[in-house]
Amino acid sequence: MGLTQDEILDILRLIEESHFDELHLQNGDLVLTISKHGRASTAQNKPSAVPLPEPAKSSAPVAAALESHTGTSGQVAEPEVTGAIEEGLVPIKAPMLGVFYRSPEPGAPPYVDVGTLVDKNDTVCLLEVMKVFNAVKAGVQGYVEKVCVENGQLVEYGQVLFLIKPVDSAQGRQA
Amino acid sequence: MRRVLVANRGEIAVRIIKACRALGIESVLAVSEIDRDSLPARMADRVVCIGPPRPADSYLKIEAIVCAAIGTGSDAVHPGYGFLAERPELAEACAAHGLAFIGPSAENIRQMGDKLGARKIARDHGIPVVPGSEKVESLGDALAATEEMGFPVLLKAAAGGGGRGMKIVADRSELSGAFETASAEARSAFGNPVLFIERYIPNARHIEVQVIGDHQGNTIHLGERDCSLQRRYQKIIEEAPAPSISNQLREEIRAAGVAIARAVRYENAGTVEFILDQDTGKFYFMEMNTRIQVEHPVTEMVTGIDLVKEQIQVAAHKPLSISQSELRITGHAIECRINAESVLEGFQQFPGRITQWRPPQGPNIRVDSHCYPGYFVPPYYDSLLAKVITLGDDRLEAIERMQFALGTFTISGIDTAIPFLRFLLGDPDYVVGRVNTRWVETMQEKFATAQLGAKS
Repeated sequence: MGLTQDEILDILRLIEESHFDELHLQNGDLVLTISKHGRASTAQNKPSAVPLPEPAKSSAPVAAALESHTGTSGQVAEPEVTGAIEEGLVPIKAPMLGVFYRSPEPGAPPYVDVGTLVDKNDTVCLLEVMKVFNAVKAGVQGYVEKVCVENGQLVEYGQVLFLIKPVDSAQGRQA
Repeated sequence: MRRVLVANRGEIAVRIIKACRALGIESVLAVSEIDRDSLPARMADRVVCIGPPRPADSYLKIEAIVCAAIGTGSDAVHPGYGFLAERPELAEACAAHGLAFIGPSAENIRQMGDKLGARKIARDHGIPVVPGSEKVESLGDALAATEEMGFPVLLKAAAGGGGRGMKIVADRSELSGAFETASAEARSAFGNPVLFIERYIPNARHIEVQVIGDHQGNTIHLGERDCSLQRRYQKIIEEAPAPSISNQLREEIRAAGVAIARAVRYENAGTVEFILDQDTGKFYFMEMNTRIQVEHPVTEMVTGIDLVKEQIQVAAHKPLSISQSELRITGHAIECRINAESVLEGFQQFPGRITQWRPPQGPNIRVDSHCYPGYFVPPYYDSLLAKVITLGDDRLEAIERMQFALGTFTISGIDTAIPFLRFLLGDPDYVVGRVNTRWVETMQEKFATAQLGAKS
């Protein structure tokens, strides 16, 4: 039993308006996986033109959106349900504005480096907001592919800090 | 001063960025995620995203603002109006980190933010205040206070203005209910439920004096504005100078405004608000707003002074560009606030996508706005889309010019209050100046009836 396009659009709208990041739906042979934040998705449909309250940015403009500080048009893309991620990488984004620190204290080794395998709950960096240090968790399991920010830099809310090549738990065990 | 962080959004962010440019100062705009692509974001030299759209997560976060200012090498922070503009904590945090706060000192903000304290300052300097109570913390206090005063009365929040925590009480039987709601509103808006009670003045005009003081000790006024046309304590049409008052009264009110500012050694731009009882001809101090105000352009139009530039210069410890004796007020200016709201649906806010946007043009017409065709008005913030300001040789010319301007303003995709504003401007009572602070309310019903009549 399949789903009509309208039904899929309805599901997309529901998840867009919900607090959930992902939806996995299995109905007989049909498997539908939808994610707001750039995990693999089997559905590639734009929601209706109705602007949604929380624009979920697709992973596609990751590089573009984060390398420039000046606001150029197109950075706040209209809400889009994500398609496949470029090169299969998942970004770790800054959950707040702050100063980026890679290690717990000056001179200490960094929390992570390129090639480090991180777990979801691992701390990957600190963000300092006026003397308050906030630990940023990876939120995804995988290998650090790229460190996108230099130590001591001001990062904006939503700026990409790391790119992670994810391993899902099954693959993780196999490896 | 080389670089200013603008901690605001919308039309006032555009306004501040323009003033920075005029002074050859770089601007850094702090934006929420949804404002990354806004007009001020495109105009600023640099943009820093400080958080998600909800104001509590972005525009109201003092740490994020100060961190962004330091991280971008800014020397100063301009708070605009609303958001953090009247929070002494921001002024303090700026001072603690060597940033100039483009506004008054934290102490000034605190003195005037305490509305009862401000009344005392006024009284101590011989400025009349509306007869009223001290702190009212219980229904018992309220009953005792109204015993002497009689009714009607106005309940007000001791910790803040802007209509929140404000209730008109017609007689004793309404007092208990009004006390509870006003107190609850004050608690939620200002974190402080304490109220005070003033005698209610039914036939009143709202007249406010623009003042500005510098670090060299100069304090001047830039004339007054009449902001009597309000809906739920929100001003919708403002003008300068105030019509229908004698020149003697005008001079007295202006002098009172300057006296209050001098009393606290006020630095930067501020507004001293008075209420004028039209039945007795007496005026009373109400409160002082320690920020640039939405309606500042009407003052700029009649004085030729760029208030935001003055603000920045004063914050950089430069003296005011003019003295009191050099001030010239020429002509008459009117401002209409264009809000995204549906007039026939109870002035409900109307966020959404603007499809067409053609602001009026012409001599002596100014439009301050951050909107453009295709702009999406987000639902998180206030509904102000634009301010239309017209200048005339006299008041009638300014009104006519405003009618023309609003008549040629095309906005589609969302509803605005333009039809209602035009209805107000066209009313004979407005034209001759027979209005008070309750007049707009009475016009709402008339407008609804007229609209229904036009349809059938």
